[in-house]
Amino acid sequence: MSFRATYIPWTQKYRPKSLLEVVGNDEAKRKILEWIQTWEKGIPEKRAILIYGPPGIGKTSTIEALANDLNMELIISDASTYRTEEAVKRTAGRASQAGSIFGKKKIIVFDEVDGVSGTADTGGLREIIDVIKNTRVPVVLIANDAWDPRLASLRNLCELIEFKRLSVHDVARYLQKICLKEGISAEDKALKFIAERSSGDLRSAINDLQALAQGKTKLTYEDVAWLAPRDRKEQIFNVLRMIFYAKNSATAKSAVNMADVDLDMLFEWIYENAPYHIKNPLEFAAVMDMLAKADIYRGRINKTQNWAFLRYVIDLMTAGVAASWSKKTTGWIPFRFPERIRTASMKKEEKGLLEEIGRKIGKKCHISSARAVKEVLPYLRIILWNNPKMGREIAKWFDLNEEMLTYIAGEKLPSSAKF
Amino acid sequence: MWTEKYRPRTLDEIVDQEEIVSRLKSFVKAKNVPHCIFAGPPGTGKTTAALCLAHDLYGENYREYVMELNASDERGINVIRETVKTFARSRPIGEVSFKLLILDEADNMTDDAQQALRRTMERYTETARFILIANYSSKIIEPIQSRCAPFRFTPLPRDAIIRRIEYICEKEHVSILNDGIEAILDLSEGDLRKTLNILQTAASVGKPINAEIVYSVVGKANPYSVRDMIFTALNGDFISARSKLRELLQKYGLSGMDIVRQIHSEIFKLDIPDKWKVKLADITGEIDYRLVQGANEEIQLSALLAKFIEVGYEIKKVS
Repeated sequence: MSFRATYIPWTQKYRPKSLLEVVGNDEAKRKILEWIQTWEKGIPEKRAILIYGPPGIGKTSTIEALANDLNMELIISDASTYRTEEAVKRTAGRASQAGSIFGKKKIIVFDEVDGVSGTADTGGLREIIDVIKNTRVPVVLIANDAWDPRLASLRNLCELIEFKRLSVHDVARYLQKICLKEGISAEDKALKFIAERSSGDLRSAINDLQALAQGKTKLTYEDVAWLAPRDRKEQIFNVLRMIFYAKNSATAKSAVNMADVDLDMLFEWIYENAPYHIKNPLEFAAVMDMLAKADIYRGRINKTQNWAFLRYVIDLMTAGVAASWSKKTTGWIPFRFPERIRTASMKKEEKGLLEEIGRKIGKKCHISSARAVKEVLPYLRIILWNNPKMGREIAKWFDLNEEMLTYIAGEKLPSSAKF
Repeated sequence: MWTEKYRPRTLDEIVDQEEIVSRLKSFVKAKNVPHCIFAGPPGTGKTTAALCLAHDLYGENYREYVMELNASDERGINVIRETVKTFARSRPIGEVSFKLLILDEADNMTDDAQQALRRTMERYTETARFILIANYSSKIIEPIQSRCAPFRFTPLPRDAIIRRIEYICEKEHVSILNDGIEAILDLSEGDLRKTLNILQTAASVGKPINAEIVYSVVGKANPYSVRDMIFTALNGDFISARSKLRELLQKYGLSGMDIVRQIHSEIFKLDIPDKWKVKLADITGEIDYRLVQGANEEIQLSALLAKFIEVGYEIKKVS
């Protein structure tokens, strides 16, 4: 639903003014408040916190409400502003040194830090690190993904505070409050439906509510139930079917606009599912060729930051795929969730652990961490399986901890090999 | 780990590479070492020789005078500019007037870093000597090569490896059969580190080591080889081939480039018409180039696997 600028978004209108109005994440809110209060007694050990979690659950709102409660001034930089070294220095850098004897106390906020661009915001992250190291006022970083590798060095300087998805109950209650103030009598079932659909994203739930209920005095379940077919899962399946079985290139290309997922995600869905549908080897090779070429254009976009190339990515991954095969399949084939996405979040943590193991082994064996993982780790795994005692001794000598040991041995770790 | 337990500590303990060892001993005697490049295949004693040289030169406390860096881990120019420079510029106390900097896997250094290194080597020759260790000296830039004494390490002769295996088995009270030794030699391709890793893993089974045990532990250590993946693809099963690819990339930490190179070396061993070998080599080259250009590893390698599927299909059609 898109509205033009003639109205105030309810997400703005009903932004919490006080911490008491922010729903959910009580533990996280308490931690933030405590940390801010330690500044009264001088500069704490961690001069910055990194608040992370999925979108629309109140990360930024919490900070705004808190500043309001404590009568502090917020200096916010988000992804809409340039965050080059210069820009950061000019705004946040200066504010972080300013005394607060007169006027309001300050909080410096870097919202959407995972959006600091590597190319456009040259040196930005480094400068943020500098600000944190030297700041005399609290610094708050906000991100969706705290484990983004680019944030690695920032992460060490911050206390990490996680925000979790809101419960259906919390979201529905907030929607109810808005309805009361707007003079709408809403059925519980209707609000619960919107809340469920939002999967814990309060912002999107409020947007949906406004789209469905603004100007009405009553909101019934029937008013909202028609949204059901827009359910994410079904949507992506329909889009995929449209692409794979498109009769012409225009249909295949138009499917992209219907997709409820972003283009990279759609690409993963197509790549994951292509081999299940396209069984003829020659046709499949042609389809894979199209996807590989689309991937090359993605790389070119990355390299040049020229998003005009996106049109070729779309052409190749939709029309290119559809045109490369005869679309003859027997029976109904279900679509599968992309494996690469399923394992992506796990992989990041796993990767960090693997690197750490590699470093430790590499140091003792005088080889690089990459080679340690490739050449020594597989053997250590087998030794752990065959001879836990020997394996444990080696692991100890490498200075590996229990988490690492469990990871290396996998499911098969015999209990005698645990520390 | 036996690779470390049985790593020679002094130049005298190194049994092979006689010519190299005698040259290194002459450096120790003169208490002077030029910048060196140690080049040669993996597991032939390059790092060991460098560490032994340091030991003999400085004595038991040699660690105080030596910095060991692995260029694969710290390949950036900043390490050269900062860490290396800080280490290199101060003169050590003692008989030997310079420190030793061992730069392992130096062929993985970026060109920028190599340029920076060249200046650093020049400027601090008085206080620091560099030993660059590499598989291929050709990947070291010319100006650095010309400043270094070259040492070429060759794969160890079979006899030497056998002697080493027998020596360690005796020390560790492990019994090994002749076919076990043969199997290890077959799999380790003259790489002593690999030899010892296989030996120790086979010993962990706790039985006299025979060929069967050796092949079984190595098989478990590499459950999905690149070759295995290629055969799966040639047989027309893309979905299994893709799972194997994912396993190689994720669990075994191989880079896309590693896999492409291995695929290439397998192509000409395949039992398929030459026409197809050449065609596959061509496609592999294209994928290799794309990866260098920063394309996504899994997607590109999947496209390559799809080509193997196509080839397998065409060959079956003909026969």
